[in-house]
Amino acid sequence: MISAFFIYNQKGEVLISRLYRHDLKRSVADIFRIQVISNTDVRSPIITLGSTSFFHVRHENLYIVAVTKWNANSALVFEFCYRVINIGRAYFGKFDEEAVKNNFVVIYELLDEILDFGYPQNSETDTLKMYITTEVVKSERAVEDSSKITIQATGATSWRRSDIKYRKNEAFIDVIESVNLLISNTGTVLRADVSGQILMRAYLSGTPECKFGLNDKLLLDKDAVTKSNPLRRPNAVEIDDCQFHQCVKLGKFDSDRTISFIPPDGEFELMRYRTTENVNLPFKVHPVVNEIGRTRVEYKINVKANFSPKLYAHNVVLKIPTPLNSAKVEVKVGAGGKAKYAPAENCIIWKIPRFQGQSEFTLSGEAELSAMTHKKAWSRPPIAMDFQVLMFTSSGLLVRFLKVFEKSGYQSVKWVRYMTKAGSYQIRF
Amino acid sequence: MSMRGLTVFIADIRNCRVRELEEKRINKEMANIRSKFKEGNLNGYQKKKYVCKLLYMYILGWDIDFGHMEAVNLIASTKYSEKQIGYLAVTLLFHENSDLVRLVVNSIKKDLDDMNEIYNCLALHAIANIGGREMAETLALDVHRLLISPTSRSFVQKKAALTMLRLFRKHPDVIPATDWADRVIALMDEYDLGVALSVTTLVMAFAQTFPEEYKGCYVKALQRLKRILIDRDFSLDYIYYKVPTPWLQVKCLRLLQYYPPPEDAAVRNEINELLQVIVNNSQDTPKNVQHNNAQNAVLFEAINLAIHLDSNSQICMQAAVLLGRFISSKETNVRYLGLETMAHLAACADSLEPIKKHQETIIMSLRDKDISVRRRGLDLLYSMCDTSNSKVIISELLRYLQIADYTLREEMVLKIAILTEKFATAYSWYVDIILQLISTAGDHVGEEVWFRVVQIVTNNEDLQEYAAKTVLNYLRSPQYNETMIKVGGYILGEFGHLIANSSGCSPIEQFTAVHSKFSLCSLQTRALLLTTYVKFVNLFPEIKSQVLTVFNQYRHVLDSELQQRACEYMAISTLPTDDMLQTVCEEMPPFPERESTLVIKLNQKQGDTEDKRVWVIGGKEANLERRESMKARMSSIDSISTPTSFTAPEPRPATTTNGNSHMMSAEPDLLGLDDLSISTPNNVQLSSNDVPTPGFEPGYHKLQRAAEGVLFEDMHLQIGLKSEYHGHLGRLALYFGNKTGATLQNFTTQIDSTEALTVISPTPVANVVEARSQVQQLLNIECNEFFRESPGLRISYTSQATGPQRLFIKLPVVLTKFMEPIQSMDGNSFFQRWKQIGGAPRESQVVFKSGSQSGISIESVRNILDGYRFGLLDDVDPNPSNFVGAGVVHGGKAGKVGALLRLEPNMEQHMYRLTVRTTSEIVSEELRIILERSLTYDA
Repeated sequence: MISAFFIYNQKGEVLISRLYRHDLKRSVADIFRIQVISNTDVRSPIITLGSTSFFHVRHENLYIVAVTKWNANSALVFEFCYRVINIGRAYFGKFDEEAVKNNFVVIYELLDEILDFGYPQNSETDTLKMYITTEVVKSERAVEDSSKITIQATGATSWRRSDIKYRKNEAFIDVIESVNLLISNTGTVLRADVSGQILMRAYLSGTPECKFGLNDKLLLDKDAVTKSNPLRRPNAVEIDDCQFHQCVKLGKFDSDRTISFIPPDGEFELMRYRTTENVNLPFKVHPVVNEIGRTRVEYKINVKANFSPKLYAHNVVLKIPTPLNSAKVEVKVGAGGKAKYAPAENCIIWKIPRFQGQSEFTLSGEAELSAMTHKKAWSRPPIAMDFQVLMFTSSGLLVRFLKVFEKSGYQSVKWVRYMTKAGSYQIRF
Repeated sequence: MSMRGLTVFIADIRNCRVRELEEKRINKEMANIRSKFKEGNLNGYQKKKYVCKLLYMYILGWDIDFGHMEAVNLIASTKYSEKQIGYLAVTLLFHENSDLVRLVVNSIKKDLDDMNEIYNCLALHAIANIGGREMAETLALDVHRLLISPTSRSFVQKKAALTMLRLFRKHPDVIPATDWADRVIALMDEYDLGVALSVTTLVMAFAQTFPEEYKGCYVKALQRLKRILIDRDFSLDYIYYKVPTPWLQVKCLRLLQYYPPPEDAAVRNEINELLQVIVNNSQDTPKNVQHNNAQNAVLFEAINLAIHLDSNSQICMQAAVLLGRFISSKETNVRYLGLETMAHLAACADSLEPIKKHQETIIMSLRDKDISVRRRGLDLLYSMCDTSNSKVIISELLRYLQIADYTLREEMVLKIAILTEKFATAYSWYVDIILQLISTAGDHVGEEVWFRVVQIVTNNEDLQEYAAKTVLNYLRSPQYNETMIKVGGYILGEFGHLIANSSGCSPIEQFTAVHSKFSLCSLQTRALLLTTYVKFVNLFPEIKSQVLTVFNQYRHVLDSELQQRACEYMAISTLPTDDMLQTVCEEMPPFPERESTLVIKLNQKQGDTEDKRVWVIGGKEANLERRESMKARMSSIDSISTPTSFTAPEPRPATTTNGNSHMMSAEPDLLGLDDLSISTPNNVQLSSNDVPTPGFEPGYHKLQRAAEGVLFEDMHLQIGLKSEYHGHLGRLALYFGNKTGATLQNFTTQIDSTEALTVISPTPVANVVEARSQVQQLLNIECNEFFRESPGLRISYTSQATGPQRLFIKLPVVLTKFMEPIQSMDGNSFFQRWKQIGGAPRESQVVFKSGSQSGISIESVRNILDGYRFGLLDDVDPNPSNFVGAGVVHGGKAGKVGALLRLEPNMEQHMYRLTVRTTSEIVSEELRIILERSLTYDA
């Protein structure tokens, strides 16, 4: 299992170093710095050197690294790393170099709690917050609480305290999707998929039991069968795989595909899913890039929004690569946004702050090239695009219902919000 | 010269905290420079500034693929600062094969022709740094012109010489060095010592490749040394801590070593005088470290030269004393050089005595704190080892091996193995040491070492029993050592039966000893052990059941190799008859003779360096061969005749091989397989290629003189022989008699047949010899050339009484068998012919002592000569007690050779003088050898 855990800053300085087993020396931290942080060509988040494996995750300006000498379950190790990030965010608001430096004592305390002899333990923020606090603790209170802590940490719903009370019972659901796209220079779609997450903020009293419904195809088909209705719903979404927060009762999901759970208090990620079929692409890009002789490249890029005109996209940015030997670049755009040449990144950056559905914009430009000693063909890297579209889901996923049952039978208010943003949205030309 | 833009840019880059930021800054700057270059209209300053920025980026490791043209333009500028930056860029950005080099060649040529020496220097720099073939072709002549031109300033000449050196090293074929020999050598006399030094360096390179053309440098180097050391003619600027120009001295001394020692006595004296001066100068150790270094540098090179010239000279004696002082010095460098030079001395000197005096110190150097010194110590010990100190050195090396540095161990193991093999004086000692080596060195023993042990043990019968016993003891010890298990497995499998009757070595005990370690071994070793087990099944049927259990178990292992072996061995062992098993597990034949793999391995480790070193690590004989090839290369000037001309190693009769001859004889393959010279008291050389079955000699020698008789007899088999010879043809009948009550099965014979002597068996011998019966084999023999070796006869059979047996005996077919005696020859015609043939080399003469105690018996001598088919001529010699004989040897294709013999016995002294004269040197010698042996032992 995990033998050691390190946090580095971007320069490779060790901020946090915790060894859990005796099979490693502290100097192993240097090996990671030399092999990964100083290495410009790192392709895998897992590096195995000899019998030692390094798992790393980058977050903000940090490297979060778990080291093991065993054949550990890598999914588990990565999950743990992300857990650390989430706990850090819950405790300090932001998990970056400064936060780590300012709170290293708490971080060591947390690390002692969530990992024991390299085996992950309870890493639920709510529970942890009961006994690892950032505030002063009065000793009497600690004595009084300790029994509660034990009950909760070992109880059936370790993620929720029993005595929560709200005057107004509310639940917010955010469906956030990122679209990944890669289109070849001939216009065929090489890769298109959506990875989404459903975030929930629950401010509900007592121990409420929630039921949650989506327009998931399997679920709907099942309903259709039971109601002996042969018609298939056209807008059902096929979900390839999904994973749930630990509060969701998986037994029930397996048996009748209902998502029912007792939510933790506050914000949490209810589920994650991925779809690969029937992806609605929010933008269509039509690039024309011609190399004229050895000295000039002409650009003509057309972008069209593919969603309903009632909606708007925000912060649309296109990065259009230029040849490495561009000497002078000129660009023109009509009404849509601003474009300029960024020599530091070898590309043209085109920003459109507000992009209405079904509208389209065009950029035209020209790059003059300088002579090169070694004639290397331009690799023509893809155009990358970034955007956010509110109240739109690329997968077509919709929340059908969220029901809350509680012993006291209070009324609750539910809010749902959808957002689609760009993951790696790339167009080759 | 200051460029603000450049300074700001460098400051920006230095301030970047992470790589990504640096990359962004670089990209931005490159885009800026591209646009500036694209616009054109840049003045010199701007161009210089931007090229500088590009160079800075290049030095940081970024790819620069533009701006080369601007750099080339800068070279053509008239301003020095711009030209300098241009050249800097060209040397950094261009490599020798880039097409752009063509663009600069013209500019460089112009600068070489320029009157301004500074420009000349810049151009020379660029040539030396880029140094492509094209540049060498176009510009070598210009460089040469600058080098020899009397108007060139000395600093230009220096640079030109070094530039030329660089071009020559890179493209020796382009430089017409041979045409320039006279002019370049003449420059060694240059008054400016700097120029002389650079030119000497250049000449050193030329002289190694063209020793003949550059032989003039020998005298020049000598003169230069004389001017420095004796005339003390040097400029004061070149005195380095009181030593006048040590660099030049060292180079001259080294140059002298590239040539063989001069023949001219005057030259020799001159050199000796110089060396004496250097040695005298170095008698005391200066306090100042630099002074000491400079002085030692010269001294060590001088000692090397002295050793090269004559390793037995007076100076070498003095040097040996000095070296003795150096190797116990406090300074690491001095110790290192001392040991290295001493190894040189050991490699060349005839007598190791002066070095042996320091043996203690040298052994101590193995414990030096510096590893390079330890290495040199090891090399020296390896070189200085001989019979007298081999035991001490080897045991010391073995002791040191346990604590030696890991990087050193493999080489040490090889060296110890070679030394042990080379200087072994007794079987037991060899086996003890080599097994101790294997057990202490553990994983550092290369495969070669244990292969070699197995080869030697297999080829030397006397070794086998002792080896098997010792190995078994090692296997019983609790430590685990993989290589030892391999050796043990092999040796017990082959020779386990030899010790099976001793107490504690019974078959089952052998098996348990091996098998207890089985599970610890690697797969490869286990496979080997399985083979051992199947041999056990063959040798010891009584433990078959235990072994079969193991096979059965391993039929199910995952590894396919092990599984296959187990299955096959199982199948073979459980066949209804043992025929298959016996054939498969027949004793291994002796290994063919070949160069020691150990030496090959060691030589691989010492790769040749750039400098054509004049000696190699190792004893004198290792160097002889090398020097020989050097001589061949440097055909003349004053080459002296080879001090030792070595003869190809031949089997010599025992009497001429005296006590210590095997030690210092200059046989190049002393470490070769056939020369494992284990000196037994009477020093019989073991021919390990074929180990004849003991007890074959009496029959072999007797039947050389007789036509029929018993060739060989042991407990099971008797071999009889009948023969007749006519001219160069002969017929042999062999009778194999089975003396036992059991049938001999798988009875096969095999007879060596060579080009010189063809032996054909028209009908193969019967496969089975019934109890107490006889089979016959006929052989036709034809002599085509004069031969030396008698053909060998290999017999193998199996019987229930004895198990598998192999015999190897020699057939009594010698050259005299093809001789026809001449009985009718009178005194006159005999002596006429005798004189015709004349003395050496066609005469072979020897004086030797009779082996018999009772004195010389005329009768038996007469019988022997008769038996060897000499026609004895009475009343020919004036002294009646002398024997005179004649005969004709029929050599088939080699023709007939008349042979005359004179044997003068001295009755009082029990001595003979034997003289054989024939028209062929080979025949003379061979007849002499045959008769000499026979007269010594049989008369």
